[in-house]
Amino acid sequence: MTGNLLLGGGLASALAAMTICFAQRIPSARLVKVTALISAGFITAASLLLWILIFENDFSVEYVAAYSSTTMPAIYKVSAFWAGQQGSFLLWLLIHAITGAVLTFRRTSAAALGIYFLLQSVLVFLVLAKSPFAEHPAQVFEGVGLNPLLQDFWMAIHPPIIFVGYALLAVPFALSLGTLLTEAASQSWLEEARRWTLLAWAFLGAGIFIGGYWAYKVLGWGGYWGWDPVENSSLVPWLLAAVLLHMINLARKKPAVLAQAHMAATFTYSLVIYGTFLTRSGVLGDFSVHSFAGSNIGLAIALANALVLIGGLLIILIKAKALPQGELYKSYSDASFIVLLSCLLIIFIATIVWIGMSMPLLSQMFGEAAAVDSDFYIKSTTPIALTLAALMIYTFAKFARMISLGGKVAHVGFLAMLVAIIISSRGETITQELQPQAKASIAGHEVIYEGQVFQEDETQKFYVYTVDGEAVRALTKLHGNGTDAAREPAILKSFSGDVYIAPHAPTIESVQELMLTKGVFAMDGELGYTFNDAHIDYDDNGNPIQATAVITITDGDVEEVIHPMIVVTPDGGSSKSLEVFNKRRRVRLTGISGDLDKARLELLPTYERLSTMPITATISTKPFIWLLWLSVAAICLGTLLAIRK
Amino acid sequence: MRKGLLIALLIGFVAYAGLNLAENVTPYVSIAEARASSSGVQVKGLLDKKIEPQQRGDKFNFSLQDEQTGETMRVIFDGMKPDQFDEAYHIVAIGKYEAADETFHAKKLLIKCPSKYEGQKPR
Repeated sequence: MTGNLLLGGGLASALAAMTICFAQRIPSARLVKVTALISAGFITAASLLLWILIFENDFSVEYVAAYSSTTMPAIYKVSAFWAGQQGSFLLWLLIHAITGAVLTFRRTSAAALGIYFLLQSVLVFLVLAKSPFAEHPAQVFEGVGLNPLLQDFWMAIHPPIIFVGYALLAVPFALSLGTLLTEAASQSWLEEARRWTLLAWAFLGAGIFIGGYWAYKVLGWGGYWGWDPVENSSLVPWLLAAVLLHMINLARKKPAVLAQAHMAATFTYSLVIYGTFLTRSGVLGDFSVHSFAGSNIGLAIALANALVLIGGLLIILIKAKALPQGELYKSYSDASFIVLLSCLLIIFIATIVWIGMSMPLLSQMFGEAAAVDSDFYIKSTTPIALTLAALMIYTFAKFARMISLGGKVAHVGFLAMLVAIIISSRGETITQELQPQAKASIAGHEVIYEGQVFQEDETQKFYVYTVDGEAVRALTKLHGNGTDAAREPAILKSFSGDVYIAPHAPTIESVQELMLTKGVFAMDGELGYTFNDAHIDYDDNGNPIQATAVITITDGDVEEVIHPMIVVTPDGGSSKSLEVFNKRRRVRLTGISGDLDKARLELLPTYERLSTMPITATISTKPFIWLLWLSVAAICLGTLLAIRK
Repeated sequence: MRKGLLIALLIGFVAYAGLNLAENVTPYVSIAEARASSSGVQVKGLLDKKIEPQQRGDKFNFSLQDEQTGETMRVIFDGMKPDQFDEAYHIVAIGKYEAADETFHAKKLLIKCPSKYEGQKPR
């Protein structure tokens, strides 16, 4: 409730800032600063409140219960903020609002600020439409927690970096429209737009690359890019922003390119919102491996998208006559021709990705739903990307002195990235079942499977391998009930590239289950079980916390009494396995009937048995993949370097 | 850019992208339609719980059930059993139905889990 009120304050002050900016007769510079700061203050306060709710484990808020839990380490409590859609939007809004306050101190024109605060109001509205502060319909005492796959450092920082990119792309858009509205032919917005676009492009790129690195190191399917709609929806604005950067640079020397620069600014920001619509509205529910809960926010985002695209294009169209005309280039060997042609190729690539990711929507409009597979993207974009690389090398050879140091680093990074993508995909792959101590060889490497090692508290285990004499471990995070929650690969890094081992789920022999009735003796073939008693512990409010069974096990000579438990969790219960009878058995209590008369006991393979089980793994080599990580870092650093001039 | 050149480039691109698209697009169909089709399709369904999924070598076998009609179809996936297969509430199989062995040969499986990126709705 308080959160929504704070957001309401943010909305009111953003609308006030917008109104002051558009009503230019009021001498307003100071008033705009104050209202922008108030709006940013409200939104920052709302964000801090969400963090406080997460850290206080306030599960009366649905969002907190869905993405946090009492047992999560602090870093993932910080990142639980943006684990879901509602929080991601709030994060986006937060960055947008802070940037807005900064803009008011940077001699930004009133018209541009007006557009910017209009966007800010729309964003607050979107956050309020599906608020992260909504109350939980039921009373719960523990949260679900962050998905174990997302409990990773790189995944913790990936969303904020992406959202800095998204949020900052509003600046060139606002500067462009603001200029068109007041002094259409002016070039004065270009320098400021250039800096913000560079910053946005570096962050968006870094976010995309970090996402790819996380996928490679955590998901274990062996790749870093899957052409999934979620990935594509951030790639398209990044490509368009690259076009925007080049148009801005060109327009600073050739006013005739201003029209293209304005169009690029509108299309880039429209595609940011479009990507959000595609991935967050639930329309792609059936077509993406990323499961986003469908939501009714789709219409609101679609309207925001229409406002940005149609509004932007209309203003450009109306002001088209006032824009400077003239020759874009003198001859085909002109640097500006090469840049324009390259940008056209980037637009072609972006169009292909856009068509591919929108195919489910487009095809439904014209008939039956359909989708494309990743071959479409790879086959169609590769020749264009290679042509682009050739043009880039030609430009380097001919016009090197016209490119700044940062520009050089970023472009060399891009070329190196293409090389790395090709080389690293040329590795070998084998899928093989390995007994412990068995050897496999791949591309001159020797891989030995050593077995499984369980962490004492059963929250995770490792598959241990030796690659060329060096030990590597593949981490598997475990659910409360002992099943695999997230299986990560083992990676041995070296100069010649990575050896990448992705273990598959062990084929567990059929798990035996015993239904025990109180006082009735039961056998598992070798040992006898008697369920003696059970009791349930309650907390002060009368809610169940845990259920404990008392069971006697015997082999005829020796008896052992065990006390297996089930701990109550939001999604039912979780229970740990117990090694009993001198490690001859591993058992887990999976259920107790309401009248405490029956208990269900699972007989699991012992740890010793597990650690000696054969495991199937897909082993592959990724030649010189470090060049890929290095080259994308160069792209981002070069871009940041280019900001100062 | 000179108009003639720009138009030539655009026409070339549209033809190129269109051809690639026609080759790689897979319609979204029901099990009955998949059986009738001889080209690549995507079929969505539930796991048919009556038949135990099995990994045989590097091929994974299971039975897919149509949500609406209840019709089932044998699927062979060219690969290992995907992670989270057991938690899936929907399976999308991408591939082609072969009348010869009355089996859908899947190149790719999309596993839809409630918990992967969005939180499970707490009960």
